[in-house]
Amino acid sequence: MTRHSSLTDAELVRACRAGDSEAWNELVERYSRYVYAIAVRGFRLSDDDAEDVFQDVFTRIYLRLDSLRDDSALRPWIAQLTRRRCLDALASKSRETPAEDELMYEETSDLTDVEEAFAVREALAGLSETCQEMLDRFFARDQSYRTIGEELDIPSGTIASRIARCLGRLREQLEGRNPPAEGSRG
Amino acid sequence: MNAKSRKVVATTVDSSHLTTNDYLDLRFEELLDRISADGLAPGGGSAAAFTVAFAARLVAMVARCSAIWKEAPGVAAQATAISDRAIALAQSDGRAWDAALLALRDAEAADTQDDAKRDFALERKLEAAAAAPLEIASLAADIAALAAAAGERCEATYRADAAAAAALAAGGAAAAAHLVRVNLGIRPGDRRLADALSSEQAARDVADRLGGAAR
Repeated sequence: MTRHSSLTDAELVRACRAGDSEAWNELVERYSRYVYAIAVRGFRLSDDDAEDVFQDVFTRIYLRLDSLRDDSALRPWIAQLTRRRCLDALASKSRETPAEDELMYEETSDLTDVEEAFAVREALAGLSETCQEMLDRFFARDQSYRTIGEELDIPSGTIASRIARCLGRLREQLEGRNPPAEGSRG
Repeated sequence: MNAKSRKVVATTVDSSHLTTNDYLDLRFEELLDRISADGLAPGGGSAAAFTVAFAARLVAMVARCSAIWKEAPGVAAQATAISDRAIALAQSDGRAWDAALLALRDAEAADTQDDAKRDFALERKLEAAAAAPLEIASLAADIAALAAAAGERCEATYRADAAAAAALAAGGAAAAAHLVRVNLGIRPGDRRLADALSSEQAARDVADRLGGAAR
């Protein structure tokens, strides 16, 4: 964890604008999987095309960061840039482009999953480290209560209740999120 | 090879069965027919996993019907996750069991094969067949723990369902632990067997406690 990993998106954007290279590294680290997931899962791009989109999107972010009107709206702005770049990539391969209705279906279903996954990831970051650890172990790593209890030195009989309370806090975080604002001119 | 294994090997093994194994795509009656059809999967391990999934879904239902219980949504989410894992384990247990059956058949057919080599290959397959039941037993203990929490804090109307879930979990754990014991052979001190038995005991303790309270 770097000193920038706890910054909000708005703080991160301001640090990037100020020329802080560590902040830029954190921005790329925070959103690289997001951009890649939109390209691969949302638009079914090949690994090579997704890599091209990835490079192009982060180049545009770097060059156009000053055009972002609302610093807290970084994520929807990146999503918009990525979607446009993915459509460009598909259009350039027009002979291989799927029918428009099929494309729209893929955009709406899989992109929603990607958006939800990243919303949960953001909300998780607002929880205590213990909560993050327990939710990750149970839901992502499929660990049993016994294993979690042994590895975290917590009585296994209390794990289920602790996870339930952490889920309650996660829910509060998600419900407290502001709806995504419109991003930028970019 | 013991008598039981020889009897299993005598069954015709159709390997095409291995490619049509998505139990969730089957109608319930088809699934039941598959269980009773022949010596192939789904067998005892998959049935134990289904039982644990039933228990988990019951716990989720009890939690969702208990609006007064603040942690209920989190318990329902955990129970649903455990149910999903149990169904996945039903699949992987089926695959491992079919692979073990094929290995047993091949071992029977290959008279010229070196005995030690053959036994080692068989042992590996059977050990793989013990892996899923071991996890199923662990899931059963976890769902029993959730059933215990539900039984203590849910609305009174649903306490019997929490007790039923614990009983199902205990049954699934016992079946899974038995399969671990059989597939690993008798090996005192084996950590995996000890874990399976511990899971079985934990689930049974909850079932006895909730069952006793319900009477």
